[in-house]
Amino acid sequence: MRTLDIFGYSFSAIKLRKFRAALTTLGVIIGIAAIVALLSITQGLQATITSQLNQGLSADTLIVTAGGSAISGGGGGFGGFGGQTENSGFSLYTNYTQEIDALSPDIANSVAIISRSGYIVSENLNRSVTIYGVDYATYQSIYTNTFKAENGSIPTSPSMTEVVVGTRVNQPSQNGTVFFNTGDLVNVTWTNATVLPLRNETYIAQVSGVLGKIGGFGIGGPSDTGVYIPLEQAQSFFNTTQCDMIIVKLTNSDSATVDAVTKAITEHFSDQVSVISSTAVLSLLSTVFGTIQLFLGGIAAISLLVAGVGIMNIMIVSLIERTREIGILKALGMKSRTVLTIFLGESVIIGFIGAIIGILLGWALANVTATVLGEGGVIGGGSGAFSITPILTPEVILGSLAFGIGVSVIFALYPAWRASKLKPVDALRYE
Amino acid sequence: MPTNTPVVEAINVKKTYMLGKVPVEALRGVNFHVAAGDFVSILGPSGSGKSTMLNLIGALDKPTSGQLLIDGVDIGTLSDNQLSELRLKIGFVFQFFNLIPRLTARDNVELAMSIAGVSKSQRRKHAVELLENVGLKDRINHKPAELSGGQQQRVAIARALANNPKFLLLDEPTGNVDSKTAAEVLSLLKKLNTEDGVSIIMVTHDEKLAKQARRTVKMFDGEICADEANGQ
Repeated sequence: MRTLDIFGYSFSAIKLRKFRAALTTLGVIIGIAAIVALLSITQGLQATITSQLNQGLSADTLIVTAGGSAISGGGGGFGGFGGQTENSGFSLYTNYTQEIDALSPDIANSVAIISRSGYIVSENLNRSVTIYGVDYATYQSIYTNTFKAENGSIPTSPSMTEVVVGTRVNQPSQNGTVFFNTGDLVNVTWTNATVLPLRNETYIAQVSGVLGKIGGFGIGGPSDTGVYIPLEQAQSFFNTTQCDMIIVKLTNSDSATVDAVTKAITEHFSDQVSVISSTAVLSLLSTVFGTIQLFLGGIAAISLLVAGVGIMNIMIVSLIERTREIGILKALGMKSRTVLTIFLGESVIIGFIGAIIGILLGWALANVTATVLGEGGVIGGGSGAFSITPILTPEVILGSLAFGIGVSVIFALYPAWRASKLKPVDALRYE
Repeated sequence: MPTNTPVVEAINVKKTYMLGKVPVEALRGVNFHVAAGDFVSILGPSGSGKSTMLNLIGALDKPTSGQLLIDGVDIGTLSDNQLSELRLKIGFVFQFFNLIPRLTARDNVELAMSIAGVSKSQRRKHAVELLENVGLKDRINHKPAELSGGQQQRVAIARALANNPKFLLLDEPTGNVDSKTAAEVLSLLKKLNTEDGVSIIMVTHDEKLAKQARRTVKMFDGEICADEANGQ
């Protein structure tokens, strides 16, 4: 029997029981849709986060923090992140930037950052922010594109009471409602936890610049919710000469330079610092997302297996119903192999149609979910909501198609085999 | 007219079934042959072994011992696949017609040819010719449920003839139709035999019908008790 005729016959059998076939296909549709939706959202999320990270963490900058060497190799985890010393009493000091600058000709410059949680208080506004103490000029030379005033300016030699804020600090909801402008005075407050009882420390600062919209988040880089005060002011206000991180700007971003400088810095501080490069963070991120995808995809795949069991169930029922038909086909000279192919053909058709509809539905679902998440600002939270654009790769499309058809065929194997093994004499006698 | 070439030849054919744990001898050494062009009826009451004979001649089953040659091939030596191929040469007409309900008359006839691997255009043309030949020209697009018993019977005959079989094998051809239709079917069979030279083997318990064939093989208790020509 010709292949096309076999498929034609399979199709005519499916058409006879449209509703039943539709329900069977629905199982495959749901399974594939779940896989496609979850994977395309996750991949979209990964792409968004990666691009946001690339903004905040350019390939030619390194972040030095105190403690351990957890990530210095380029894999590992975020050891000692946030500037806490882990094992030794080692701390980073703001003047270490001079030592770092002298380490390699590949280092353009470096900037120390002191950061504390605090508040900005003005008339009608009391906003929780992160206060960063940085050297304006150096910081701006490293983050030329993002540490840039949209209103006012960033003073090159600031007075102690000048302050630069991110765009969501004076305009939290980004809807035009501005709580203060450049030139206004605001209270900068932090809670000093190094003394007991805890004490709120406050000084009055004048806003000299508001940054343009940056979006997303970065490590070390400027943020929409950041408040930037001069380094000297931070040292006296927070009463410290230690810093939380040092950002190192390289003259070029090739991996040999990154590795060499990373090694030089780590060795200079006797392995007591972590040096984070964008390549290390991105590779860690892709590992994390790989695991998430595998996990979510696995859960979705289970629903497809359930659909497979449904297919097997239905095909066994259909096999019993069609025993006599199988007997007729065999009596007319059909080979067992052809009977097998007819039944498998039915499952291929169901798997194929289910996978195609499932992919389309999953894609639609991913887009709807992404829109809802984006609007609700669930992702990105306070640091500026960002939108996810789901990504559907050809690999996911082909993989889902193959998986949908594969599962259908595998679960149809047993019923199809049983059908092919029916003896014509017995099958014809079956009522 | 019968020739000297046998299409079916049974040599000491025995068939034993297990009915639970009890062996039942359905055929106890049957010898007979059917020549090409002949019209033979196999007559017997129920339990005589004629259905077993039918299954063997239809290549649906194998004998326990002895030889059953169809078109010169001993079916006992064939694999399942080879048996399937052999069935393409046999035009089986079932008692209950056994048409596929969801297919039209033409598609039912075409199905037999598609199993044999005939191309779509060829089998479409041939199916229409066959249905015209059995007098169903205006019923080709009807499904079995829309046809009378006699019409279904004729579709089944057209289907059986689709692959130019060595012989037609009919199981109680008039068992499920009224007497008028039975007469029509019979005259169709006679026409096929005399005009088109189709060999026919008909299994029945109806003595009157059996007498219409050129020759009647009578069976009783798993054996052939008579093999006689019918004077016409």
